Amino acid sequence: MPEIIKNLPNEIKKNKLKTGIFIGLSAYWGLILIGTFLSVR
Amino acid sequence: MDVFLPIAEVSVNIVAIFSLSAVVGILSGLFGVGGGFLMTPFLIFLGVPPTYAVANEANNILATSVSGSTTHYLKDTLDYKMGLMIVIGGAIGTLIGIWTFTYFKGIGKIDIVISLAYMYILAIIGTAMLVEGLGEIDKARKKIITKKKLHVHYWIHGLPLRMRFQKSKLYESAFTPIIIGLFVGFIAAIMGIGGAFILVPAMIYIIGMPTRLIPGTSLFVTIFVSVIVTFLHAFNYGSIDLILVFMLVTGSIIGVQVGQKLGESVDSTGLKTLLALLLLIVGIAIAYDTFFAEHTTQEIAKIDTNDLNKLSMFIKKLSVEVPTLYGLFSIVFAVSLGVAAAFIRRFLSNLRKKYFKKAA
Repeated sequence: MPEIIKNLPNEIKKNKLKTGIFIGLSAYWGLILIGTFLSVR
Repeated sequence: MDVFLPIAEVSVNIVAIFSLSAVVGILSGLFGVGGGFLMTPFLIFLGVPPTYAVANEANNILATSVSGSTTHYLKDTLDYKMGLMIVIGGAIGTLIGIWTFTYFKGIGKIDIVISLAYMYILAIIGTAMLVEGLGEIDKARKKIITKKKLHVHYWIHGLPLRMRFQKSKLYESAFTPIIIGLFVGFIAAIMGIGGAFILVPAMIYIIGMPTRLIPGTSLFVTIFVSVIVTFLHAFNYGSIDLILVFMLVTGSIIGVQVGQKLGESVDSTGLKTLLALLLLIVGIAIAYDTFFAEHTTQEIAKIDTNDLNKLSMFIKKLSVEVPTLYGLFSIVFAVSLGVAAAFIRRFLSNLRKKYFKKAA
């Protein structure tokens, strides 16, 4: 596990596109989940 | 160029509706998806109230699926027995869906339910397609070939009442297609979509049908599901607008033919990623519209029936006075347009073959 965390910055640099998509999708899902929660409340 | 829709009681731009339905039709033809999950949000953005957008898109899907299904019937690429099993589940699912729709309409929450349902469906499909598309591009770059398992067994395959499906060469429980149909029918009734994007993967991965029978059988099921959805929407809410349906059907049938032709010459791997991004963008637009946009109450001026032109007046009267007949008429209307489109396509295809043969 610590090995994975240690290599994470290098992995992010290597796969910029995948990291970007991962962040984008996380933001998107976060937005709709928070929005749903707020509108239901 | 604006046209007043007598049932939805809004004015829409005829060019915008026609071009959007043609573009969605092209995407449908290109990727083999129904397109309802794109067209309904577009209709909502163009100002058509969600309740009307759902109902009229269901009627449009009926016409396009009849058109596609007739083509597959002529080619004999349809498994009727499997299709009918899915339809049984689909009919039950549609009824449950309409009850759910009625419940949320009754408490005044139907618009938010439709928006949320679209947001999540687009997010799920968009994410899945994006991940799959990027994976395919990655594999193609690295030249990796993966071997897929021939059959994966889930709990659904262990259900009783097993029967033989000769055409698909399968021996499976009747409950497998019925449960899938139930889910598809429920989603179709609430969202005004055909449900092919759920049905097609389910037919491939869960039922295990041969690929050549899938598009035809999926379209065959969609006909019945959209007939029930259209009729129930027309009968319960009088929300089918034949003028809107005509614009949608014409645009999407032309678009689908163009898309299918393009699909024969274009590599769809990269395009799949683009479609995924488009779905996510539409999802973001719906999220913005639902959560952040200021909603001003639109005051709809009461339209006097005498102010409408003869056709609009006839449609409005028919819808109010004889809803059952109107519902049946909207179904017959969509089916006729679909069958006519299929035969025109066959005629043009035969003509082209004859012409090319002569030229050769």
